[in-house]
Amino acid sequence: MIYDQARYTEGDKHEPLLSEKDTTTVEVGGTDSPLPDDLTRDDLTLPGLSEPELARHYTRLSQMNWSIDSGPYPLGSCTMKYNPKFTEDVAADPNAAIHPDRSADSAQGNLGLLYGLQEYLAAIGGMDAVTLQPPAGAAGEFTGILVAKAYHDHHDNDRSEVIIPASAHGTNFATAAMAGYDVVELTADEDGRVDLEALKAAVSEETAALMLTNPNTVGLFERDIVEIAETVHDAGGLLYYDGANLNALLGRGRPGDMGFDIMHYNVHKTFATPHGGGGPGAGPVGVVDDLAAFLPSPRIEKTDDGEFERFEPDHTIGKVHGFSGNWLVLIKAYAYIARLGDDGLADASAKAVLNANYLADQLELAVPYGPFHHEFAATAGDRDAADVAKRMLDFGVHPPTTKWPEMVPEAMLTEPTEIESKRTLDRLAEAFNNAYSDTDEAIETAPSRTTASRIDQVSAARTPRLSWQALDDE
Amino acid sequence: MTQTDGSPFAPHTDAETAAMLESIGVDTEADLFDIPAEVAFDGEFGIESRSEQEIRGELRRLFARNDDLTEFMGRGHYSHYVPSIVDHLSDRAEFLTSYTQYQPEITQGFLQALFEYQSMLVELTGLPVANCSMYDGATALAEAALLADRVRQTSGHRILVPEFLRDGKRSVLENYVDGAGLVVDAYPMDDGNVDREALVDLADEETAMIYAENPTVRGTIEEGLTEIGTIASDTEALFCLGSDLVALSLLQEPASVGADVVVGEADVLGLSTSYGMGLGIFATRDAFLRQVPGRLVGVGEDSDDRRAYTLTLQTREQHIRKERATSNICTNQAWVALRAAMHIASHGPDGLVDLAEDCVRDAAALADRVDRIAGYQAPVHDRHHFREFVVRSDQPADRVATALEAEGFAVHAIADHLLQICITETNAHATDELIAALQEAA
Amino acid sequence: MSFDVPDAFRYLESHEWTTTDDPARIGITDFAQDELGDVVFVELPAVGDEIEAGSAFGVVESIKAVSDLYAPISGEVTAVNEDLFDQPELVNDDPFGDGWMLEVEPSDDAFDDLLSAEAYREQIT
Ligand SMILES: Cc1ncc(COP(=O)(O)O)c(C=O)c1O
Repeated sequence: MIYDQARYTEGDKHEPLLSEKDTTTVEVGGTDSPLPDDLTRDDLTLPGLSEPELARHYTRLSQMNWSIDSGPYPLGSCTMKYNPKFTEDVAADPNAAIHPDRSADSAQGNLGLLYGLQEYLAAIGGMDAVTLQPPAGAAGEFTGILVAKAYHDHHDNDRSEVIIPASAHGTNFATAAMAGYDVVELTADEDGRVDLEALKAAVSEETAALMLTNPNTVGLFERDIVEIAETVHDAGGLLYYDGANLNALLGRGRPGDMGFDIMHYNVHKTFATPHGGGGPGAGPVGVVDDLAAFLPSPRIEKTDDGEFERFEPDHTIGKVHGFSGNWLVLIKAYAYIARLGDDGLADASAKAVLNANYLADQLELAVPYGPFHHEFAATAGDRDAADVAKRMLDFGVHPPTTKWPEMVPEAMLTEPTEIESKRTLDRLAEAFNNAYSDTDEAIETAPSRTTASRIDQVSAARTPRLSWQALDDE
Repeated sequence: MTQTDGSPFAPHTDAETAAMLESIGVDTEADLFDIPAEVAFDGEFGIESRSEQEIRGELRRLFARNDDLTEFMGRGHYSHYVPSIVDHLSDRAEFLTSYTQYQPEITQGFLQALFEYQSMLVELTGLPVANCSMYDGATALAEAALLADRVRQTSGHRILVPEFLRDGKRSVLENYVDGAGLVVDAYPMDDGNVDREALVDLADEETAMIYAENPTVRGTIEEGLTEIGTIASDTEALFCLGSDLVALSLLQEPASVGADVVVGEADVLGLSTSYGMGLGIFATRDAFLRQVPGRLVGVGEDSDDRRAYTLTLQTREQHIRKERATSNICTNQAWVALRAAMHIASHGPDGLVDLAEDCVRDAAALADRVDRIAGYQAPVHDRHHFREFVVRSDQPADRVATALEAEGFAVHAIADHLLQICITETNAHATDELIAALQEAA
Repeated sequence: MSFDVPDAFRYLESHEWTTTDDPARIGITDFAQDELGDVVFVELPAVGDEIEAGSAFGVVESIKAVSDLYAPISGEVTAVNEDLFDQPELVNDDPFGDGWMLEVEPSDDAFDDLLSAEAYREQIT
């Protein structure tokens, strides 16, 4: 398979910037202004283009962009699945487009959706109570750790540490630090899982929580999870589940049944809401009963006569988003879960795991750790994983996540998800293998069929130019 | 489409599944799972799969349970008309279904759009560095406070915020800064603007950041920004200004009044009313570049010496700096930023300034009409207003709001006898009816 | 691959070097710059600041990594290589020369606990 990405080229640049197509300055203030001049700006300079010109600009930009609808996007840990189109239509319902300060009486539809999604997520995760407010996974982590902190504080139990496996996602570390905790890093055992002895040595009365994703970042299930939970609980700590990898477990394992006290769900991964080029997502947080009183406010409950009400949990931490989180995303997540139902969700995980195992089996690259589930970390060995990835771009596939986690040298963390057919996986494997076995020169100079050829990251970082104004100054 | 036993979005036929299992060397899918029996789940969620058509019907009926009210609401979440071009172009799957631009060579389109968005913010704020999004205005404010804490040379752990601030915004701020040991204190307002004399007294060497809004949450336009900027710099506190994209198009340029950081709601363009979904502005001075939270798109060259865009200065971010990152943010609001940029572009500078001027004119005109109804005084604050204003009602505000709801209108009741009313081009057609309903409820 | 390790300098296990002059010059080793890759940013203390042996005094960044810089010796900073702010690549091109970072007024016996060139060479091979 050969792929050529669209490329509109004018001299030393591609599609010109809006500002290069037009720059118009308008004076602000003056006699017609409704405000005195000292309360207004002097002028405003922005592109002033017609609708047809804008339609072309953005259509061209879209053509210079890869997406899950373009082809495989097997970024490990990112769970790039197909985003069902009908969820867009559901979210676009004008009746759902209401102001967040509306009275509960006049917003029964929105509250009903939120309530329904709280319930779905609680069932899927084996949790007792759910908040939908956090606007992304990292925000969910932060919410969860704040809840843990509030819980410990409530019990006059001042704790200073959060334990995190070395292979965890960067957000885990950053979250713990933002919440004011010291991070205790846990190295993996030889098999790539949590080292129980190391964990036992790490826990103490300072342990506020252990943050864990399961399966972990190389797709391995933490077989000792019951003992891990006991170890943390015995020390008075809480167990936090990073939901990024939930797509491996749907219908086969629930964090709540494994001893986790707090979890976030990553709906732009597991529940197929579109990732929008970086966001928005949503990171709802579920907790067990003991922690429900600390969740953000408001939560939604259903009265005996079928009405929906907002309520403030007794010891709420307050708010983690200005309003109710990423509303449109939450609608799409609800619609996706409803479409799949119990069987569909379980099948999604089964096929995600099947696809990862089948794909790994077709690869010439070694996969040091297993048995893995929905994702695996292949190693590019003595080749540079980033270069191999660049070469893959020329074959009409997006490469996996590279060089992470560090426990696998030259890692290529691969997660095909359930949406790929055998045929596509074969093609993906071929791209993988071809890139992997290509010449040094070929991989070091790749890609050549994408809109941009290899970008010099070093000069971009040494001389930051972050706006078109900065380009004009040159 | 009919109900299905499996995921409708997994394409495997039984034969393919069998072939794949055989190639792997296992008998069943279940054999691929390494979950100890003691924690395996074999229960049911009780979620019944519905067809696409059924779900659309179900949710249409559910959302129809929202009362059909004409909203005159604001207080941080606003309704501006979003032209169709924004929906159609931002909904192109190449944008909507793409991931963060970890492979810039193949995602130049989105990167360029985000670079253009950053550039528009640079123009609107006058500050040279703008990131490509925060979750919303509240979290952007909170991140600004954390930045103030990091860049501060001397001790100081107080964040000063206006007495009038959305509860939610203040709560988010407090939650974010708690771990850094900062405390949030309020300074009083004077007839809807910052009480600058009180602020001078409150601001001291313990103050890390002074936050002010323009317009304020009560819709007043702040008249003392330059002085507030001076108070901040005199105490070596950062001056953080909250605003929104439409207001920025008209009101004093933040850089010109000494703002060090600009935060606020960028979702006023691009999203319209969406139950509070947001897009946070974050812009700052060059000196703080290395302390900026979130993603930045920069320009570089590709190996053909052509201009190319890429995420840059990523060592600030969690995936590299871990617990020492400038923020834990990863997934942001990129697609909303794309929409906001499209919306700005579709207005152009003339259209934006016109829109913003209407926000001033229409608010003044509506306040005037409300004021003429017996039983109401508006605006309560003797200031210029942007989009919204506070009304004093002789009747309890709750009762008025409920009565209005029965007539098909939603307004804010913000205190015992205070209402707040917001007008934009999306509800302006209904002002006569609103006035009539207010009369009725007086 | 073999790395430069000037004999006259002293070293830290964390790959910083210092001269034994007064003022002493401080930088990172050839090995360190190679491990880091292209340096894009260097953050250094200001003239007049005190640095303390074994403690972090600054940061060096490549695109994909951030490293703390540890002080081989204690003392007051008397000069900072400002060229690095515009040309961080000097750290890669000439780590023991134009890529120097600080000059520090050393206290007495400042150099006693540091690695010799020979010992450092052993560490990196
Ligand atoms: C394992 C893991 N944890 C947390 C996150 C953070 O989630 P988000 O990007 O939604 O903030 C991610 C996302 O990439 C992840 O892969």
